[in-house]
Amino acid sequence: MRFFSVAWLIMTKDLKEEVRRKENVLASLFFAFISLVLLHFSVDEMASDITKAGPGVLWIIVIFAGSLFMGNIFRKEEETGTFCALLMAPADSGSIFLGKFLANFVFLSVLESFLVVLAFIFTGFPLHRGTASLASVFMLVTLGYSAAGTIISAIVAREKGAALLYPLLLYPLLVPLFIAAVSLTGLAISGAGILYSPWLRLVILFDILFFCAGLILFEFAAEE
Amino acid sequence: MIGIVRKWAIVTTVFALVLNALSLYMVFFHAPVEARMGHVQKIFYYHVPCAVSAYVLLFVAFTASAAFLWKGARKYDIWALSSAETGLVFVLCVLTTGPIWGRSAWGKWWVWEPRLTTFLVLFLMYASYVLMRVFGGKDPKTAKIAAVFSIIAFMDVPLVNRAIAWWGSAVHPREVTLDPWMKETLLVSFPAVLLLAAAILLWRVHLACLEAEGT
Repeated sequence: MRFFSVAWLIMTKDLKEEVRRKENVLASLFFAFISLVLLHFSVDEMASDITKAGPGVLWIIVIFAGSLFMGNIFRKEEETGTFCALLMAPADSGSIFLGKFLANFVFLSVLESFLVVLAFIFTGFPLHRGTASLASVFMLVTLGYSAAGTIISAIVAREKGAALLYPLLLYPLLVPLFIAAVSLTGLAISGAGILYSPWLRLVILFDILFFCAGLILFEFAAEE
Repeated sequence: MIGIVRKWAIVTTVFALVLNALSLYMVFFHAPVEARMGHVQKIFYYHVPCAVSAYVLLFVAFTASAAFLWKGARKYDIWALSSAETGLVFVLCVLTTGPIWGRSAWGKWWVWEPRLTTFLVLFLMYASYVLMRVFGGKDPKTAKIAAVFSIIAFMDVPLVNRAIAWWGSAVHPREVTLDPWMKETLLVSFPAVLLLAAAILLWRVHLACLEAEGT
């Protein structure tokens, strides 16, 4: 029980801090908005047939805007000197990973909800078609993205050129998740079922693999 | 360790040179010229063994990284870094020979085809790994986190391969029927390239050991 209560404490601490500081949250949300506007002018299908280009555009924005936020989750602790304190706390390293993972998951969910509503208003993204499927896809993909983002964020936190390294290490790992996310979102908004799609199995496998890898390997990535 | 590595490096280099000379002879004088693609088809005898060597080297990097995290001995990190770097060179060989083949077989330099695209993602992953090692220098902390990344990256490879295979069309033939002379040539070029990979890896490990001794 202590494992989960520590994770919960870390998550609430991080979210409170982010809401109070505002800069990370606002920068990511604003980046998502401006990207949507720019992509609307550069991708022809955004204006003519949103169901074709929409899923890819949305996930590109989620991945870029999300990494702006997640890349900082350990680096800010390192800059303020609280990372060591966090590691010295009498808590399992797995619970620290879980806390950070949950904070990232909550933030990404907020970002995605914001982006999907914006896409609905500005581009007519068909939010009403297959809403339950769409919500499940976003939730499952976000689990995998948060797990991968959290562990890579821990890896680069103490490295020179962390801001530069973060996307270089993270994006190649996300290739299978990204392809599956775009395909599943396309299926969901076309009204087709996603339950028997092989992409769904791939996303679940990615989630399990990266979550377990994060729990086990966080100790090595974080220790001084 | 340096003495043993050096001895094995010399032995594998000698065998690799002999076998590669034989393999080159067989590629140009033993194997027949393919009817449709002509001489360009001969790149196949190096393209496929390079791909297998790259997989083997990256598997060595994964195993050595896991051993480094578990045991903490410096020698495992040396093996992990050396095999990842050598693996990256072989991935680059696949990415160079693949388009040359592709231009002749499919009329395009690049086709978003499952296996070739998997190698492109592999290149991006391990180039980032090497970049991280360059940025981090000789910091022992970098060695540890690079090992974590190496394990995660290798675990991601089957998923990358599946995702791209489902997404794209399969251009690579699933089953290849080869002329007996072509088969014999391939049977020589496989160990020749694998031995070359082993020789390069051993010399890289030797160099890393010398560097470690000097610091």
